[in-house]
Formats: sequence, C-alpha cells, structure tokens
Amino acid sequence: MTDQFRVKRIWQQDERTLGIVWTDGRKSLYDVVELRRQCRCAHCIDEVTRELKLDPDSVPESLRPQRIESVGRYALTIQFSDGHKTGIYPFERLRELG
Amino acid sequence: MSFFKRVQDKFAPKATEVKTGEVKSEMTLPSVEASAQTSASEAPKGGALDRVKSLIAVGSGKGGVGKSTVSLNLALALQKQGKKVGLIDADIYGPSQQHMTKAVRPTLLEGDLIEPSTYQGIKLISVAMFSNSGQAQLLRGPMAAQVIRQFLSQVAWGELDYLIIDLPPGTGDIQLTLAQIAPLSGAVLVTTPQEISLIDVRKAVSMFQTLNVPILGVVENMSYFICDQCDKKHYIFQQAGGKKLAAECGAPLLAEIPIDPRVAASSDAGEPIVVKQADSLVGRAFAQIAEKVVAQEQMQRGTDGALGYFLLEWK
Ligand SMILES: Nc1ncnc2c1ncn2[C@@H]1O[C@H](COP(=O)(O)OP(=O)(O)OP(=O)(O)O)[C@@H](O)[C@H]1O
Ligand SMILES: [Mg+2]
Ligand SMILES: [Zn+2]
Repeated sequence: MTDQFRVKRIWQQDERTLGIVWTDGRKSLYDVVELRRQCRCAHCIDEVTRELKLDPDSVPESLRPQRIESVGRYALTIQFSDGHKTGIYPFERLRELG
Repeated sequence: MSFFKRVQDKFAPKATEVKTGEVKSEMTLPSVEASAQTSASEAPKGGALDRVKSLIAVGSGKGGVGKSTVSLNLALALQKQGKKVGLIDADIYGPSQQHMTKAVRPTLLEGDLIEPSTYQGIKLISVAMFSNSGQAQLLRGPMAAQVIRQFLSQVAWGELDYLIIDLPPGTGDIQLTLAQIAPLSGAVLVTTPQEISLIDVRKAVSMFQTLNVPILGVVENMSYFICDQCDKKHYIFQQAGGKKLAAECGAPLLAEIPIDPRVAASSDAGEPIVVKQADSLVGRAFAQIAEKVVAQEQMQRGTDGALGYFLLEWK
C-alpha cells in the first residue's frame, strides 16, 4: 500500500556502527557519530530557516548511542551518551543517508 | 501525587459525590514520576505490549460516524472467532466504551501494572475509567499522549492477538500523536456514505499514510436502511462513499453496515449487537469485517517481514 521501506533487522555492527536490513533487502551501515551530526531536531536545526544550530565539530568522536528505539512504524529515535534524545530519524531519511 | 491521580482530579467533579451505602474506593494509578525523564516524543516501552501481536486503530477523522460502535463490535466479533482481544478507548473527548459496556474499573496490580477490565471475554480500558464521574473532560495534547502511553505500557494486556484502539474524532495533533506513539500494525477507517464525510476521512487516510500505517480496510456505516414493509435495502444516501474511499486508498471495503435502531439501543443497554443479535444483518456485517481484518493484517505482516516495535541497547 505504502511503498515506504521499514526495518527488518537492526543490530550493532561494531563499536560505532549501526546496521539495518530494510524490508527490500537493502543493507545500510551508519556511523553513529555521523548520525548525531545529522540530527534534525529543533535543538539541532532552525525549523524555519533550516539552518544548522549544531556545530558538527562539537560532536566528539567518542559519542555513542545508549538506546535506539522505534517510533511508530515510520522512524527511530536515538538516545545518545551526551543525553541528547530528541532526534527522530524517519526511515525515509535513513534510506537517503545510508 | 501520582500522575493518574492528577488526571483523575482533572476529570473529577469539584465536589465528589458519594452515594450512601456505596463503598468509595479511591483508585490511584501508578506514578510515572519514576520515569519522569520520558519526553513527549518518546515511544512507550515494550513491556506491556510484548505479547500483543497486532495493534489496530479504528479512526475516521470525522465525528459521529460510528468509530466506537465499530471498535467494540469488531473487538467482540474477533473474540467470537477465537482471537484474544483487547480494546483501548482513547477518545479523550468523549469516551464511550465505558457507557456501552458498563465495564467496571480496572484493578491495580502489584508493582506498576494495571489489570484491564473485562467485558464479554475482551480486555478493556477506557479513559473514562479513571474519572470519578465516568466522564472525561477534554484532555490537552501532552496529557492525552501521556495517558495513552500508560495504556500501552502499564496495562497488563498479557497475550493478545489484537489490541484495538478507538481513536478520538479529528486529525489534529492529538490524533497524530496517538497514532505515532502506538506501534500500529494497521488502521480501519470508518465513514458514512455521504461525499461530505470523505473530506474529513481523507485527512485521516493521509495521516496514516504519512506514519506508514497500512490501511486494512474501510467500513461504511449507516449505508442503507431496511424497511419493515418491503424488506428491501434502501440506500438513502446513494453516494457509495465507502467504496469510493476504499478505491482511493487501495484497501478493501470491509462491509456496508445498515442503519439499525437496535445498534444504538443495544449499546445503550450495554449489550452490543454482535453479542445480542449475532444473526442480524449488522451482526453478520461485523463477523465479515473481523474476518477481512484478520486476512488483511496477515497479508501486511507476511509481505514485508518488518519489525514492529524494536529497542536496541548499545554496548
Ligand atoms: N449502524 C448504525 N445504526 C444505528 N445507529 C448507529 C449505527 N452506528 C452507530 N450508531 C449510533 O450512532 C451514534 C454515534 O456512534 P458512535 O458513538 O459509534 O460514533 P463515533 O464515531 O465513535 O462518535 P464520536 O466521534 O463522538 O466518537 C451512537 O448513538 C450509535 O449508537
Ligand atoms: Mg467515539
Ligand atoms: Zn537534535
């Protein structure tokens, strides 16, 4: 009905890599530090001007997720070790990133 | 003060009436303060939904078309077909399941769990159960989301094949939030035959599509009237809105439910028509809806093998 792809399998590949297999069989690997830099939540990006509020260099290479959880059927959310947890990553966007 | 106590106080009439002879048991629900860090955007934890196979929302976008009637009778029809079923009345504007079922208040279990009420073999929980007056006042968005989150995470649903959610009318922030926090495996849309209803129902369609929730089918309610004299189906509106909507969203028309005064009468009496008059046209329409929902849901599940709820702890 909808042609959006969803998560079939999700796992921690290594220390800083997240793995996802999508429902169409495609496999994506994500660097978790890069995912933090790609956050589009209201703290990290100006919702009107779409300007980045987050300085990518301020995200340390040592940053890690703590938990990754589904949001409904369309997205996931990541709680990071710096306490940041407001980011929602729609599957559609993750497909573009990985 | 616990969160639910606060909700209850919000609902409760200023002066609590206690009828003479009535034992007044204060019901205080588990506090969410323990997990006070939970932000409004966070999804409910797996816990209480762990053994729930499928969560289905009944929505419309439009008020008064029969969502609550369809939710309850669909739940009962599924139960009669041997499924384990639960029902959440999420209509924070005007919860009606309590009125239709006369179900008693749920009990509080050890720890943080609420034991749902039961009615004709289904498990039931309603916003109205937490109000002393049995009626809800309007809950604002974040509060409504919090209540529903608790219904999903702190109710001892146990093992269920289907958990049905009766959504409030409309397609505003509240509906969007509810549809977002519940890991829905599908939605059933309710409409009436009139073209004018479709304007609102289409908004619900696009809401579900945005959230990637498959539409399992369309129920057209109040489709026709059977006259006592001639026994013929009178399609008084003649607009076939259900069929049209089904075609538009690529989902099956699950059934056309006739207007039957017994629908309203039986729900006022706390005895829904599926139970009371299983062999009536309405009763049979619901049996058909239940069968098709099962088939559609299995098809959806079978085709893409996607995970519903997931939680990954990073090491
Ligand atoms: N097929 C039917 N025949 C006769 N009466 C019906 C039928 N379906 C629903 N009704 C009656 O219409 C009224 C509205 O139905 P219901 O409460 O189920 O609608 P709703 O969509 O949940 O409304 P709301 O938007 O207020 O939540 C009720 O009194 C119900 O008994
Ligand atoms: Mg209703
Ligand atoms: Zn962010």
